[in-house]
Amino acid sequence: MIVPDVVSPVVVALYTPAIIVGIIAGLIGLLGIAVEKNDLQILILTDLVGISMMIFVCAVGTDLAESLVLPGLVVELAEILAISEVLMSREIRRNGKEVALIPLPMHMDMEILDTSPVVIAILLIAVGAFESGFTGGAVAGGGILFYVLSRTMRGVPSGMWEGIAGASGISWCLWLAGFMVFFVFPQYWLLALFLAAFGVFIKVAFKAGLIGVIGREEFKKE
Amino acid sequence: MDASLFGALGGQLLGIIPLGDIVFYFTPLNLFMCAAALAFTFLIAISQTESQVEAEFGSLHDREVKVEKKEFKIRRFLAIVCGLATAGAMVTGDLFDFTLFVCLIGIVNIGIVAAVKQVDVLDAAYQYGLIAMIASLPLFGGASLILASAGTISLLQLVQLSYTTPMMALGSILVFMGVAGESGVAPFFATKAEMFRTPGSPFLLIIHLSSLLVIVRMIEILLIINKPF
Repeated sequence: MIVPDVVSPVVVALYTPAIIVGIIAGLIGLLGIAVEKNDLQILILTDLVGISMMIFVCAVGTDLAESLVLPGLVVELAEILAISEVLMSREIRRNGKEVALIPLPMHMDMEILDTSPVVIAILLIAVGAFESGFTGGAVAGGGILFYVLSRTMRGVPSGMWEGIAGASGISWCLWLAGFMVFFVFPQYWLLALFLAAFGVFIKVAFKAGLIGVIGREEFKKE
Repeated sequence: MDASLFGALGGQLLGIIPLGDIVFYFTPLNLFMCAAALAFTFLIAISQTESQVEAEFGSLHDREVKVEKKEFKIRRFLAIVCGLATAGAMVTGDLFDFTLFVCLIGIVNIGIVAAVKQVDVLDAAYQYGLIAMIASLPLFGGASLILASAGTISLLQLVQLSYTTPMMALGSILVFMGVAGESGVAPFFATKAEMFRTPGSPFLLIIHLSSLLVIVRMIEILLIINKPF
């Protein structure tokens, strides 16, 4: 028997229903894609198919499966980001209109964006640096994004975007190097842990540059 | 590990690279395929596709077409990543690593196809992206079915099992479908957009090479997992 005795039979019995739920969710998504003709809605329905893939992996429920969930999720996100970029690029090209660097649904000309962006951004970055790791990176990234959004009212230089993306890439490399150290020299785990933790902190914080704004030559850069 | 069992790996085991629980292994076949992918990647890295010679219609003259280097930077990078991912997928000894490498090839292929900024080409890239994303369901789902039914996804462990349950066979067929959707259909969409006539088409050849090598490797994995063969 593959499953050890310590696992409760209830948990083992959950595997088949979970797989059936995954198959049903996948079928609903595929049916929707077959019927729907709107490109954007097809993209959203494709995400449903991706989620049923996550159900398949999660149903296994072991440590190994847990470590497989994260790459699966990342692949899913990367693909949906890439496809939506392609879709946006196509629509912009088809319309032939000039588009702002950060397209916003409304005109965000609020007074707070003029008066206090620096304070709020520094506050968020300080909190994020204290937390470190993935969550801290997200908080600090929110701060940077807020600052950039407020600067957009007056025009963001495109060099700033490229700088942010460069720093983000370098810290991503730190994170990768940390993981390589984990695999190759397990005895230096503390160094690897800190490389990975601060690499991912800077990386996630600077995610603003990598949301996809950087590579779009269609957008008007200032 | 019994050395005689490695005969089933498709040749003599030349060596392994253990990185924690991620193991790369070399047999003559997959080492050759890895070397082929790396050699082609090297050729792409050093080739100068900025200048291209086109024949003129109605006369015997040739015309040289120059394309800016900047335009090729991203495509060259994506092609190199695609080649490295193909090389990695050839020698990995872990089924889930293989699926991740195949996914990386899929994402990078979307990028290579989408690099040409024409509406038709972007349309093909969008459709290919949808197929690739849908194909990740059988790809990862199949791998997780094998994990659930065999208890391991290491090929070096799977080759030592003396049986194949129906669930493992189903999982391996699902992985095959996923590979076909992620990388096997890529040449079709590249051809559909007539990308071979656009400047910089040498980079597109890596799409063909990767899908070819990945399918061969996938069949090898099918033979490893399904025991009677």
